[in-house]
Amino acid sequence: MAKKWIYWFDEIDSDFNELVGKKCANLGEMTKLGMRVPPGFAISVDGYERFMEDSGAGEEVQRYFHDNRHEINRVGKQVEASREIRRIIESKNLPQEMAQELRQSYASLCDQVGLHDLPVAVRSSGSVSMPGQMETYLNVRGKNEVERKVTQVWGSAFTTRAIAFRLEKSMDIAKTPIGVAVLKMINAKCAGVVLTVLPTTGDMTKVVVEGNWGLGESVVSGEITPDQFIVDKTCGECEATISSKTKMVCYGPVGTRVAEIPHDLRCASCLNPDELAEIVRIAKDVEAHFNLPQDMEWVIDQDLPFPENIYWVQARPAKFTKKKQDESQYLADLMSQIFRM
Amino acid sequence: MKVYDVVPGLEFDAERDLAQSPAWFLDATHSVPPWTPMFGWFWINFCRHGMQYGAEKLSLPTVHGWDWRFMNGGGYLTLLLVKSEEEKQRREVEFRKAILPLIQDYDGIWNGFVKEILGRYENLKTLDLDSASNIELLDNFEGTINTCRRMWEIHMYMMYGTYTAYILFENMCRELAGIDDTSPVFHRIVSGFDNKVFQVDRRLWEFSKIASDQGLASVFLENQELDIRGKLEESEKGRNFLKDFSEFLNEDGWRMQRMSEMNLPTWVEDPTPPLSMVKQFILKGGSFDLDNERNKRILEREDAEKQILSKIPSEQRAWLEPLMRLAQKSGIFSEEHDHYLDLYTHAMMRRSALGIGRRFAKSGTIDNHEDIFFLIPDEVRRAGLNPGSFDLRYIVDRRKSDWMEWQKTPNPPAILAEGFDLDQAMGILVKSNDPIALKVVVGSMPQVRPELKADLYGTCGSPGVAEGTARVIVTEDELHLIKEGDILVAVSTSPSWTPVFSMIKGVVVDRGASLSHAAIVGREYGIPVVMNVFEGTAKIRSGQRIRVDANLGAVYILDK
Repeated sequence: MAKKWIYWFDEIDSDFNELVGKKCANLGEMTKLGMRVPPGFAISVDGYERFMEDSGAGEEVQRYFHDNRHEINRVGKQVEASREIRRIIESKNLPQEMAQELRQSYASLCDQVGLHDLPVAVRSSGSVSMPGQMETYLNVRGKNEVERKVTQVWGSAFTTRAIAFRLEKSMDIAKTPIGVAVLKMINAKCAGVVLTVLPTTGDMTKVVVEGNWGLGESVVSGEITPDQFIVDKTCGECEATISSKTKMVCYGPVGTRVAEIPHDLRCASCLNPDELAEIVRIAKDVEAHFNLPQDMEWVIDQDLPFPENIYWVQARPAKFTKKKQDESQYLADLMSQIFRM
Repeated sequence: MKVYDVVPGLEFDAERDLAQSPAWFLDATHSVPPWTPMFGWFWINFCRHGMQYGAEKLSLPTVHGWDWRFMNGGGYLTLLLVKSEEEKQRREVEFRKAILPLIQDYDGIWNGFVKEILGRYENLKTLDLDSASNIELLDNFEGTINTCRRMWEIHMYMMYGTYTAYILFENMCRELAGIDDTSPVFHRIVSGFDNKVFQVDRRLWEFSKIASDQGLASVFLENQELDIRGKLEESEKGRNFLKDFSEFLNEDGWRMQRMSEMNLPTWVEDPTPPLSMVKQFILKGGSFDLDNERNKRILEREDAEKQILSKIPSEQRAWLEPLMRLAQKSGIFSEEHDHYLDLYTHAMMRRSALGIGRRFAKSGTIDNHEDIFFLIPDEVRRAGLNPGSFDLRYIVDRRKSDWMEWQKTPNPPAILAEGFDLDQAMGILVKSNDPIALKVVVGSMPQVRPELKADLYGTCGSPGVAEGTARVIVTEDELHLIKEGDILVAVSTSPSWTPVFSMIKGVVVDRGASLSHAAIVGREYGIPVVMNVFEGTAKIRSGQRIRVDANLGAVYILDK
């Protein structure tokens, strides 16, 4: 029997970083912690490698890099390489056996949620952090479309930025293991982030929640001014800043689109007090569990009752007053070295 | 017989202990002259505990701290080395996490500890020892034991952490700017800071001004040190002066005349030492030396900081500057911890022990209240609740005669296994990378430079050149022999010696490193200090004219 390459989220945790990528491992870890995450499954790097080998794409990519090895440091060449390699990968169909397994998994996900042609998000999940360097496809419906988007995510490992990044870090340019997360799209009433530390000051006595109507992309991308709630961890005192929100991200017929927010919702808080309190409570729990300030992404499902409507899509250690942290750590490293002399 | 062991479980046992480690060093700074039994019990147990606690808390990669033994009133110590390479690596990973809080919030941590320990002292002081019940009295004594234990934990955690930063800064200055810790530029960077010990000296100077303003100067100048207090009591103005003075002592006078012993009175009990310092300040007149010196030091320091930072590539400055700030705290900590930790705790130990001593003497358990210093806590507990039922004089007698014997024969500076020499033993200390071994105990070895034709070679503790009359001082009670303009020659110095630094022109010490007391205080007063000359007290005689060139690490005896 061929190697297992599809895992349900409750089968994995942070020990699977290398195998399924950080994003999937994180969803698994959250599942393990009892947090509500959108139902879905992970495709491991073994899946990617098997596809590259069985479809012949791997050989073509290797050949391309070999043929162009003298020019690849030029930016112009990197743009061309990206286009060419993505074309190679996306032109290949999933080998029959793999396609069948993927369809089966998608079908059981649809069964689990009780929806035919369930809209899913297909997200890249690298084992090395490369922020914003790989693609994510939202609102993907039907088995053929899922199949196509999975190969597109694999191809996105070769964006120009990703190629440049790998060259800069002296990573093997042709080998780029990448995992994929396939998970239910939440019919979002609103979404956003929560940090258990104030990122600008490093103040750990506060939790900050930011959110907007629609999908979380508008908040994460920083393109709009979201609602902001700063909550004291001990007394629960809340300082809310409700912004005038004009645009949100929601599903289009394919993928997502930017939409106008209806006038009556623009100046209304996207979260009600119960939802806010529940988000803060869980964020504090997770922080206590990892003993580290957290940066988490939440989505409120408009079809479900409170508190089942709160979904989590990301939890990771927060970056805050980064500079100070890094210098301290650097000094600690240097200090440890004086014992080696 | 077992019952006479002074520190049960930690008495030196040549056969077993030399098998454990081939070299044990006498702590000459703290245990010469030999300790009283009770003080030895406290020090050996808890200084030992503190060093191991500090090393574990910080997970020092190469050492588990130090082991201590007691022998004839002397403290002997040896390193507990981390043996396997694998364990070193494991500890190093932990160290990187454990040291972070000190890097990020040094002041917060130190101030928190000071607050904690001062709170403990206040607590102990609330009991009126002479009206307390036996139960309360013993409880106060147990509280003192726990306070001493906690004091040493704080002491060694802070000391290990602080000195590690200092050593790194030294290394970085050497690597990045070619400046080492014997260079004057380096010394300028780490001086020009106020600390609690200097603040106390400043208060004493202020009292000298008050005395002069109130027309009391003559009482100080015309009387022997011992009589000043009595004479002050005779006038209204004098009594007012003493009232303010004892208020000051109640706050800052909980310190010992000898730093590491408890059988001499604290300033609170006997204000003669601080009153004689007031007298010295009246004699000198003028402003408080240190203020002028400090302003100069601050300017020089800022200049030296710029000098060093300019030699560092800008991308390195982002971490070098915080490291420099951290290293600068070493000097402050070195002085301040003596005040808040050692001296104050020992004063609390003396206070509590004497309370019990008086109770025991009243019940006939011992003859004299000060005999309590010849008992150890287990024996205090034995008679603590029912002193009248026990006669402990036989223990006191035997211990006292032992103690008097100890005073006659000096303890050997090191106890070595057969076939093992002092050089090898020093080598182990240096290779351990233990920050305390490097910065306080061993220091760097002096370089002998025949072309200088000096009589003694040492290292630079504080830069400068001076010429004057040598004054060899062995113990604290000889400090009053020092005259304005002398050059002090000693084995080493401690915080109770600080006030004489305002009178002298230079210092030569047999042992010491860049974070020893003499170096730190010498830098603040801007006088040259030559350290680690080893044979200074042996080769130099009081009254000889000598020249010290700290920049070169050379000492010349001019009239041989």
